[in-house]
Amino acid sequence: MKTRRLMFGLVAAAGAVGMGFPPQAVAEVSDADFNALKATVQQLGEQVQSLRQTNILDQQTHEQDVQQLKELQEKLAATQQTAQDAEQKSAVAAQAQAQPLPRGPIDEATVNHNFMILGDAEVQYVNADKQNGAFVLADFAPIFLYRGGDNVLFEAGFDFGIQNNGGAPGGSSGYSTTINLSFAQLDYVMNDYMTLCAGDLLLPLGTYTERGAGWLNKIPDDPLGVDLVPGSGVGAELRGAVPLGDSGKLLNYAVYGVDGPGSVDGTGSAGQLDVGGNVGLWSDGSTTANLHGSPVGGARLAVFLPFPYKPHYDLELGVSGQSGQWDNAGQHLYTAGVLDASLHFGPNFETKGEYILTRYGSDDLGQIRQEGWWVQASYKLAGLNLELPGINDLELVGRYDSLRDGMGTTTDRYTLGYIYYITNALLFEGDYEFVNSNDPTQPATQLILQMSYGF
Amino acid sequence: MTKSKQIKKLVQTAFAAVAVSLLCDGLASTVRSAEPKAAAPQKSDSAVSPTNSVESKADAPDAGKVVVKRQITGAELYSIHCNRCHPERYPTERTAAQWKTVMLHMQVRANIPGNQAKLILQYLQDNSGR
Repeated sequence: MKTRRLMFGLVAAAGAVGMGFPPQAVAEVSDADFNALKATVQQLGEQVQSLRQTNILDQQTHEQDVQQLKELQEKLAATQQTAQDAEQKSAVAAQAQAQPLPRGPIDEATVNHNFMILGDAEVQYVNADKQNGAFVLADFAPIFLYRGGDNVLFEAGFDFGIQNNGGAPGGSSGYSTTINLSFAQLDYVMNDYMTLCAGDLLLPLGTYTERGAGWLNKIPDDPLGVDLVPGSGVGAELRGAVPLGDSGKLLNYAVYGVDGPGSVDGTGSAGQLDVGGNVGLWSDGSTTANLHGSPVGGARLAVFLPFPYKPHYDLELGVSGQSGQWDNAGQHLYTAGVLDASLHFGPNFETKGEYILTRYGSDDLGQIRQEGWWVQASYKLAGLNLELPGINDLELVGRYDSLRDGMGTTTDRYTLGYIYYITNALLFEGDYEFVNSNDPTQPATQLILQMSYGF
Repeated sequence: MTKSKQIKKLVQTAFAAVAVSLLCDGLASTVRSAEPKAAAPQKSDSAVSPTNSVESKADAPDAGKVVVKRQITGAELYSIHCNRCHPERYPTERTAAQWKTVMLHMQVRANIPGNQAKLILQYLQDNSGR
């Protein structure tokens, strides 16, 4: 039994050991196969080496590419920055160009000049009774201002117009340009209340000549009667305003001496009075001399009464006059007097007018008495507060004027008109006039349209 | 509390109330009497032009009436003078230097005193924007 157990154990152990060892291959390899295998392994090894080298090269190339890419990106960033800088500089330059350049301070005492052109321009269309309608006026009236200091001003006004050459039998064709010097004066402001003016002065006979002509007139034509008095004269004037107490009341004054009216042919005939002929020397062929022995004197006194602290409410009343010789012989006087008044009652209503009276002696007709008057009222429809388009820019105006020329002609005229304010300085005016006159050359009615611009 | 004590207390309270009211009234009177002195008009500056202002009238010191001194402004003078003859021209239409020349022309033409013209000019220049 023991032996059997021993034998059985040995066999089992051998079996276990045998199972623990892997089965061994017993196949045999020939030399040729071995060498072939060896060659193949060597070949594979060389290929691996080659691939490894290629990989190294690729790696290096990749690194170079990455480096280049990095450099290109840096360059791109730099270029973009440059473009942004250029854009900013361009924007700054454009902005600087739009803004006014800073200027150094001006020494008003030494570098002291300021030149300006103001004035107005008109174009007029007239359709009168028994006449064809036509554009009858193209007028340009600049005013040149030159300020030579705080207290010195030179001002001159011109009137450029055109008129046809022809019309009458034998007349020439085309048109002529007329140039008239309306005024040219030097103003020296002596103090707050007194100004010395000298030159070809706008005369303060009434207020129309100084403050109502051109685009300032709400009706396209001048009132009757204003031509009875001279509008300008060559001479000198003291003028100014003195406050009367408080709240803006003023006393206006003007005193002047000018050459005065003259005679067309030098005689004292009534029809030869020339209220505008008052400049310098005149020769009658044998004598060159002053027109008159002494200058003609005139003055205006007026009060300006604004309602206390109430703008657009004011009253102005004035009286003015002029007297002096008019004929070359100095035998006859010409005397003119004007009463003027102006009322503003609120921002929308205005009325004003003048009464003009002149008297002058003559060789043939003795004393000639002339008179004229005009009264005008206007109302801006903005005062009605109507919600209608364009209504707030419309102003209605009416005028009654009259003239007695002292030699038998009387004229009364009634005018209804409007002003449309395209802007505060560009006006479209129109009026219809009814004329009652014993002068056969006057049309019974006429329509006038005018575009005027004040600059 | 006995009735006598109640009455006594009532009297003391009333006396205290009267004393306090008298004190307050006295203080108020003192304050009112001091007011006219504090509101007395200032002496006017000699540099201020009398033409552009409303002068304050001197009332009796004890009248208590105060008149306000008022200056006409450049804007008001502009409204008074600058559309009497022509439509209003806006300050922005011209430069400050141009207004100086224009105002010299208008001072002569419209007979405006120099000091008022200066106020109008200042208003125009301040509002010209250029």
